[in-house]
Amino acid sequence: MYDEIVLAGFGGQGVLLIGKLLAYAGMKAGREVTWMPAYGPEMRGGTCNCTVVLSGRPIGSPISKSPHGLIALNLPSLDKFEASVRKGGIIVVNTSLINRMPHRTDVTVVPVAANEVALECGSGKAANMVALGAYLGASGIAELESVKAIVAETFAAKPKLVTVNHEALSRGFALGREKAPAGAVN
Amino acid sequence: MAKKLMKGCEAIGEAAVQAGCRLFFGYPITPQNEIPEYLSARLPQVGGTFVQAESEVAASNMLYGASGAGCRCLTSSSSPGISLMMEGVSYIAASELPVVIVNIMRGGPGLGGILPSQSDYLQATKGGGHGDYRCLVLAPSTVQEAADLVMDAFDLADKYRNPVLVLGDGLIGQMMEPVEFKRSTRLEDLPAKSWATTGCKGRERNIINSLYLDPEVLEAHNWKLVRKYEEMARTECRHEFWSPHGDADVLFVAYGSVARIAKTAIDALAEKGVKAALFRPITLFPFPGDALEKAAARVKHVLVSELSTGQMLEDVRFHLGKHRPVSFYGRVGGVIMTPDELVAEALKLAGKAG
Amino acid sequence: MPTVLVEKDRCKGCGLCVSACPSHVLAMSSEINARGYFFPLVEHPDDCTGCRYCVLVCPDLAIQVENKGKTTAPPEALTEKPMHYCPGCTHGVIHRLVAEAIDGLGVRERTVGIAPVGCSVLAYEYFNVDMHEASHGRAAAVATGIKRARPDLIVFAYQGDGDLASIGMAETIHAANRGEKITVIFVNNAIYGMTGGQMAPTTMPGQVASTCPLGRDVTLAGYPIRMVELLKELKTPAYLTRVSVHDPKAIMQARAAIKKAFQHQVNGTCYSFVEVLSTCPTGWGLQPHEACDWLRDNMMPYYPLGEFKTPEKGVVKETER
Repeated sequence: MYDEIVLAGFGGQGVLLIGKLLAYAGMKAGREVTWMPAYGPEMRGGTCNCTVVLSGRPIGSPISKSPHGLIALNLPSLDKFEASVRKGGIIVVNTSLINRMPHRTDVTVVPVAANEVALECGSGKAANMVALGAYLGASGIAELESVKAIVAETFAAKPKLVTVNHEALSRGFALGREKAPAGAVN
Repeated sequence: MAKKLMKGCEAIGEAAVQAGCRLFFGYPITPQNEIPEYLSARLPQVGGTFVQAESEVAASNMLYGASGAGCRCLTSSSSPGISLMMEGVSYIAASELPVVIVNIMRGGPGLGGILPSQSDYLQATKGGGHGDYRCLVLAPSTVQEAADLVMDAFDLADKYRNPVLVLGDGLIGQMMEPVEFKRSTRLEDLPAKSWATTGCKGRERNIINSLYLDPEVLEAHNWKLVRKYEEMARTECRHEFWSPHGDADVLFVAYGSVARIAKTAIDALAEKGVKAALFRPITLFPFPGDALEKAAARVKHVLVSELSTGQMLEDVRFHLGKHRPVSFYGRVGGVIMTPDELVAEALKLAGKAG
Repeated sequence: MPTVLVEKDRCKGCGLCVSACPSHVLAMSSEINARGYFFPLVEHPDDCTGCRYCVLVCPDLAIQVENKGKTTAPPEALTEKPMHYCPGCTHGVIHRLVAEAIDGLGVRERTVGIAPVGCSVLAYEYFNVDMHEASHGRAAAVATGIKRARPDLIVFAYQGDGDLASIGMAETIHAANRGEKITVIFVNNAIYGMTGGQMAPTTMPGQVASTCPLGRDVTLAGYPIRMVELLKELKTPAYLTRVSVHDPKAIMQARAAIKKAFQHQVNGTCYSFVEVLSTCPTGWGLQPHEACDWLRDNMMPYYPLGEFKTPEKGVVKETER
């Protein structure tokens, strides 16, 4: 199993964080993992993205020209990465901030109104978690419970955030699962 | 210690602490800022000192002072900043002081870019600053190896009283991978430094100096340094030879992040019926030329790949001789080759392209 | 009746125009523009008095005001390229003031600007004049080279606090001491923005930065450097002033000071140096309007505004400022 996922949005949406959670989950499952941020001159305002690779073998390049999955939290991210996703891959689209659907017909599209769902869970800031949950649900790439455990560790000092983020992950997971392509392990 | 997911830069910072380094001097520059940021929080926790210098010129001269006083010390920067440090590094090498310098390379020349590159190979391995000197150069290929080599770098610096350069790139510095700190040096176990400027109470005074106005004395000093570099070449050469698919037709020669990309290409080539192997220099100076010669003798084609226009290529050609054809594939400016690009190059060499 | 024109796809959603409008004409949209940002809507057009505060504070030149048949227009000395600065960063405002001074003096076609290393490293993309990109801290030396080679040119260096007051301190002081007939625009936002919020030579005591995670400790890092005060001690005649861009009134004063600085160069009088207190919402971890307040409340008491030295009067006493 070799999985490359690109996670993208604005700076401040927490894409780097959900990338790290995914990488941690992979590491705890005994896989080789890399997490590589794209870094640019502006601190905010551009698209912010990272690539996570999970593999059963040592990982060569930590960057990907044709990822298996894309989580796009804003429109510039979908514009930039949509074409690169591998045939048969998964694109999670945050419909709260993206006013178009992907043009691709050879991938599984998972639309989630991540910001609205997150607000319902108690904080608009958890939109990233909703999107990550959706990707987990659609792809089966890592266990939901394992990611939740890492969230609990990461936010141990802020128990309220753990509750909100757990709820957001679960809600996203359910939405993703509805769209899961046949054969995805859940 | 359990495995942690860490950025290369942070792992480098923690490795320095574990190696008994308690002093850092540096100046912000992308893509290595996480090293000073990490150490600005970490060093005070262990009684150490972090100084944000006013410039890289100043940082390298602070390092010159601290190492002269006998303390393990570190600086880090990225290509343009390393160029500025060359003044201090030349003085440090001349005065035979142990320091560790990390260069997280980015594209050049000039201000260049901020994305990964290997275009400082020649600067790193051929001296870099003015005068006849060399740094010992270590090139990690993973975050784990970056941590391991930083610890070794402090030992090697003390052993040879010479600057040791850890040469990474933006990929190694910015990437997160699992890492484990395999050893921890206690300060009381660090080697004694009788030559250091620690105050002359009870002994003759010590002088740290690089000025030799008498030409014959300076000449003798130059040859003494050369003998030290020759000793490094005899005892410190390191490399990895990776040949998982049996006798190879194509030998990749690559270091650092390119080497890991080459490994993926080698596996992909095996599926296409082409056997390839990797020769990965870990010490870039001294260059593991003898081992390369042996590895190259067993293959049909040698393919050097770098994130430069062909810098290590010069050393490979030197060691293999001008009659041995050596191919080259480089990407520059911050562009990183994919494994597929290396596969295509190897297939061309093996006559199986298209 | 005045009309506010918003070019919504230039907007980065900082909201400074909404806070600056004294008549509450503007409000942020609930939909997003092509770049994914909320943008200002003209909610109460009838209340507009034509004060143009929104034009003044907009760092992205996304707002113009039409009044009595006349429309504000971006200066010719700026290109149309949208700037890369973070939302709410006041670099864009300062760029515009510099460009207005160049236009106002009619020297655009004989001006050469020096871009530094730091957030404004890409300034050569934005100033519609000949530009020269310098290495870190050396802008004043590069400017010296240009000005000595071609004294007829108008040469300005645009530098941040790390570039000018840390790595470029020597070049800065010596260019001032030689009385180079150049204009230096010193943008002081008390932090390294580009590299991710490290401590600057002008970071305030106690201010948290990524290389002083517990706040600037003055016993280890010293006190923030007051560049204007430092330079005024040099005997060489100069025009030295400090301004701010945290609100519309301050921006108007800054505009006058920057123009005066360039005027001294045009007249061949002296070295001119304008320190501009600026915000870094990203590096400070504040909303853009909060950053303006933070500047006023924390930076201005330590970095007082005013003319510190003029070629006519020499050092200006605090009571005269």
